[in-house]
Amino acid sequence: LGNDLIRVTVHLHTILQRPTPEGMLRQLDVRLAPGSTVGDLLVTLEVHLPVDALLLAVNGRVAEPDQTLQEGDTVNLMPAISGGTSIINPRVLLI
Amino acid sequence: LAIEPVPESWARLGGRGLLARILLDEVSPTCEPLGPANKLIFAPGLMVGHMLSSCDRISIGAKSPLTGGVKEANAGGSTGLQLTRLGIHALILEERLGGELWLLHLSPAGARFESAEGLAGMGVYTAAERLRERYGKKVAIALIGPGGEMRLNSAGIQNLDKDGVPSRIAARGGLGALMGAKGLKAIVIDGSQGSTPPVESKEAFRKAQKEFTKALLAHPQTTVYADYGTAAMPRMSNGFGGLPTRNFSAGTFELVEKISGEYMRQVILERGGQGETTHACMAGCAIQCSNVYADQNGKSIVSPLEYETIGLLGPNLGIGDLDTIARLNWEINDLGLDTIEVGAALGVAAEAGTFTFGDGEAVLRLVGEIRQGTALGRVLGNGCVITGKVFGVEYVPAVKGQAMSAYEPRAIKGTGVTYATSPQGADHTCGLTIRAKVDHLDPKVQVALSRSTQINMAGYDTLGACLFAGFGFAAAAESIRDLLNARYGWNVGNDILQVLGRETISLEREFNRLAGFTTAQDRLPEWMTRQPLPPHNSVFDVAEEELDHIFDFGQ
Repeated sequence: LGNDLIRVTVHLHTILQRPTPEGMLRQLDVRLAPGSTVGDLLVTLEVHLPVDALLLAVNGRVAEPDQTLQEGDTVNLMPAISGGTSIINPRVLLI
Repeated sequence: LAIEPVPESWARLGGRGLLARILLDEVSPTCEPLGPANKLIFAPGLMVGHMLSSCDRISIGAKSPLTGGVKEANAGGSTGLQLTRLGIHALILEERLGGELWLLHLSPAGARFESAEGLAGMGVYTAAERLRERYGKKVAIALIGPGGEMRLNSAGIQNLDKDGVPSRIAARGGLGALMGAKGLKAIVIDGSQGSTPPVESKEAFRKAQKEFTKALLAHPQTTVYADYGTAAMPRMSNGFGGLPTRNFSAGTFELVEKISGEYMRQVILERGGQGETTHACMAGCAIQCSNVYADQNGKSIVSPLEYETIGLLGPNLGIGDLDTIARLNWEINDLGLDTIEVGAALGVAAEAGTFTFGDGEAVLRLVGEIRQGTALGRVLGNGCVITGKVFGVEYVPAVKGQAMSAYEPRAIKGTGVTYATSPQGADHTCGLTIRAKVDHLDPKVQVALSRSTQINMAGYDTLGACLFAGFGFAAAAESIRDLLNARYGWNVGNDILQVLGRETISLEREFNRLAGFTTAQDRLPEWMTRQPLPPHNSVFDVAEEELDHIFDFGQ
């Protein structure tokens, strides 16, 4: 059964890191059913931040929650405005 | 020395916008930047002086010795606050002082020049200590290091943080070189006997301040900044393939984990001692994004350790060790230089084979050459463009003579548009786009995104607001309008941030046009349009025609 699952590598940023007995966990491999989306991954990982407050990237490109994941994908889950210096006016995003 | 009333056309501007206005009114755009006709101007932003959280920044400007165009560099710390306590809307330094090295002392008793001969050649950390011993712990100080005295084009002007450490640098564009050329080592500002600037409607101001502060404190991002600061960025940039690595030859770095903010926080907490993960640069700041990075014995190496410095002195030089980066940061700070410009120059020097990428000891030796004032040291201290010319390197990451910061424009193309078109030269603080939910590789959506961001940033820089204060302003949208109307008795509308931003950029572009700039300077280096960047193997391919019309306001 395990052979049918796909494997993706996930990078958890800042407040999404997981405390473990061995220290903070910020990179992990996750196995998912084929056809799973980024949104499914968020559910699997029990990420409770609203999607609006997250910046999602698959293989280095901005992704939406409905994007289907493939075997070997790399996913970065970033609280939407961590680090850096500029604030995007919400209206900007509508352009 | 003259004290003059504020002209009408200057009264409604502050910070970056006011600098551009004064430069157009008083400085010949074609003047020699290090010559006597150039003026060095200090202008607190419009909101400065009231301990509004994260809104007490000082803007410093001139015709840039580095770019030859308009320049504004801003910093936190106490300089802005104390200038406003003396009722100063702008401080304009004109003629070159003769002979020895001087300092300018400002207080309610007036302004006077004193000899600073004993401070000649002294690094900013020791010089600031001496000045605080002489003038007291309550003064604000803006000062230059040996780099500014040597008139190096990467020299900035340092300001004291709330603890009296000269770590808040108006870094970019070579303003320290101009201060050195004016014969001025330091400006000591004693506002302790001064007063808070007048407020037209105190009740309305208090109400707006409360709303802004509440929104800022409630914003989840404020906590993230307190814990990680800007150092949260290496993994994000790396995740997008946009972390400049080995002189901008790749967008990911194999040692990113060891230079990440997440790792840095762990190290600071484990080492204890003087290290702090959360630290304020300005009194009254609710965000406190700064930090103190300590060594294995808990002794402070540098404060703060920020993303741009980590990027340019880390991955850009192939260095994956925070202790080395922190030591380099302290040295370059002490020289009074911009870590971005020096980091980029070192990357170009490595490209030329001066040292091997990753050799931190070699980099420390080269920075030592800057301090000694050797020919090679002076080349590096004059920035990446001059270094590239001296060594015959094509791959120089600069626009309008100024080095790019730690966002790769071929992977984060909107920020590439900002680098190309900002009147300031390559500068992420003029309009960073990495957090927008757009495809950063799609060339078609970047110009509109960069334009909006550049306008907002120019607005914040005119208010004297830290860009991070924007979380609060975004959540309490009317507070900018309400604060300005209450403070000055104005009647501005809700779009005042954008109004100020557009006006500022228009003034700056006019200064550059008169200085001889054309659309030819609104470009990334040609090689970035041709040389693919791994991992996406992308080039910068935003249409030049779009770049040329980015600031056609009103269309």
